[in-house]
Amino acid sequence: MTPSTTPATTPAAVSAATRETVSVPFSGTRDGEAPLTWGQRLMWRAVHLMGPSQSFLNCPWVLPVHGRRDLTTVLGALGRMLERHESLRTTFADTPHGPVQRVARGGELTVELAPAGPDGPLGTATRIAAELGTTVFAHDADLPLRCVIVLADGRPRALAFAFSHLAVDFQALSLLSAEWRALLRGDDLPAPEWQPTEQAELERAEPFLARSRRSIGYWRSVLETVPLEVFDHPPGEPEEPRFIEVGMESVALAAAAVRLAERLTISTTSVLIAACATVLAVVSERPRAVMQLVHSNRRDPRTRPLVATVGQDGLLVLDLPGTGFTDTCLAAHRSALMAYRNAHYDPFEMQAMRAEIGRVRGREPDLDAFFNDRRGDGTWPNLPRLTPGADLTPLTAQTRTYVTNAWPGVRFKVFFTLGTAPDTGQLSLIIDTAYLPRERARAMLLGVETLLVRSLTEDVPIAAVRDLVQAETAEESGTSPGGG
Amino acid sequence: MSGALEHRLADLVADVSGGEISAEQALAGDHSLSALGLTSLAWIRLIDAIEDAFEVDLDLGGDLSAFERVDALAAHLSGLLDAR
Repeated sequence: MTPSTTPATTPAAVSAATRETVSVPFSGTRDGEAPLTWGQRLMWRAVHLMGPSQSFLNCPWVLPVHGRRDLTTVLGALGRMLERHESLRTTFADTPHGPVQRVARGGELTVELAPAGPDGPLGTATRIAAELGTTVFAHDADLPLRCVIVLADGRPRALAFAFSHLAVDFQALSLLSAEWRALLRGDDLPAPEWQPTEQAELERAEPFLARSRRSIGYWRSVLETVPLEVFDHPPGEPEEPRFIEVGMESVALAAAAVRLAERLTISTTSVLIAACATVLAVVSERPRAVMQLVHSNRRDPRTRPLVATVGQDGLLVLDLPGTGFTDTCLAAHRSALMAYRNAHYDPFEMQAMRAEIGRVRGREPDLDAFFNDRRGDGTWPNLPRLTPGADLTPLTAQTRTYVTNAWPGVRFKVFFTLGTAPDTGQLSLIIDTAYLPRERARAMLLGVETLLVRSLTEDVPIAAVRDLVQAETAEESGTSPGGG
Repeated sequence: MSGALEHRLADLVADVSGGEISAEQALAGDHSLSALGLTSLAWIRLIDAIEDAFEVDLDLGGDLSAFERVDALAAHLSGLLDAR
């Protein structure tokens, strides 16, 4: 952990002044090699499909330094984190027998040191974490994390990370946050009993294989009849880069979702799924929405404390009822449970089935419409306190939308993400601009908000949602309703 | 038998909910499991746990109301066990 003056070499650091680096040695209890877990297999396929755009899958994360800790203490805590969790010292390699995970017993992580900027230690760390996430990992050579320690007044104040999604999912990052304070204190934490290599072994035996077969059977039944395309209309001239992400921050959205969830005794996740699926169905002019749901999948007790990528995708099929949004929410809740239930499978076996369907139907159905709720516990813990029953419509004036990111090839047609902001509804939407113009993306987000807020005072008929989205689109693009 | 089954299912509910719902609350049946706070993930864990414990295959293709209360769940499960 001796500081050196080696120039930083990661592209993220190029724009910054040359940063001092330090080395964090680690020495775990074992090394090993094993097949990939199901979660890793999903990500393995995703990173190869996305190629240069796979940086989309990287996971930026920030850990604060609690208390007055010196650099040696922080580096020691970081080293123990790598020693505890084998996923953080794992590389991935393709072999003649398929891809494998290789756990290194020992090694060292090179960490950069950066001064806090005017945006403070946490703000600086958040910005640096986003920068770190823009560089693709060399999965067969790199440790699956990068770290910059942000200093202020000569002390470490925050850590900026980018993790490979092959190593962690957002539940795993929440677990790291939860144990970080204890690691800083030097607490003697019990060693994790379950690591990805054990998980891989479990998934090669019953009852997991039976669950995989059942899930694949469910997906097959959907894929046999689902439309081959997400949209019926042909692609147009896309923007450059082709895929853009539009974000929205709306307290009204979150407050409305909480009230509807309480009223219907379902989760806010189900309410948001219902609203997003409804808007997708309206935009695609179909009575049925088919979306993949990113699901945490930590259903086995042994996976709950596992720092690894465990999440898999479920397949939601929602037929819009001919009534109103209340019935849609209840139907979405049931359909989501079916999707979660069948989100437990070997992704390689799933791909084989999808290829078989492709041969029968002429091509594989395009399932590139997604919904992801990244909130760890499905709540907004710091949402502003509002008067019970107060009209939320005035709050929508505070809602803001913005373009957050763009990629040349993430391949999604439509991807809704509910972010982790604790105090506001942070909903974003990635679109393929060959199929949807950006003003339509903003309109879809605002349509979700309006649908939820209006549903507090009336059971909005599905037919009215089309007018809602078209009106928002017209406002965004400056055309008359029905255009865009 | 039904009473014993209900108690065992209520214990499973308490287990999969991480203690958020007590076995007594689940047994009382005053509220649905959703109203008691059984999350979607816990609900899936409950289904997995029942299948593993009783070696049955639960079909969720239709009405899910049988899975919202311990007594209804016990009746549904009894039917599956009797049919074997």
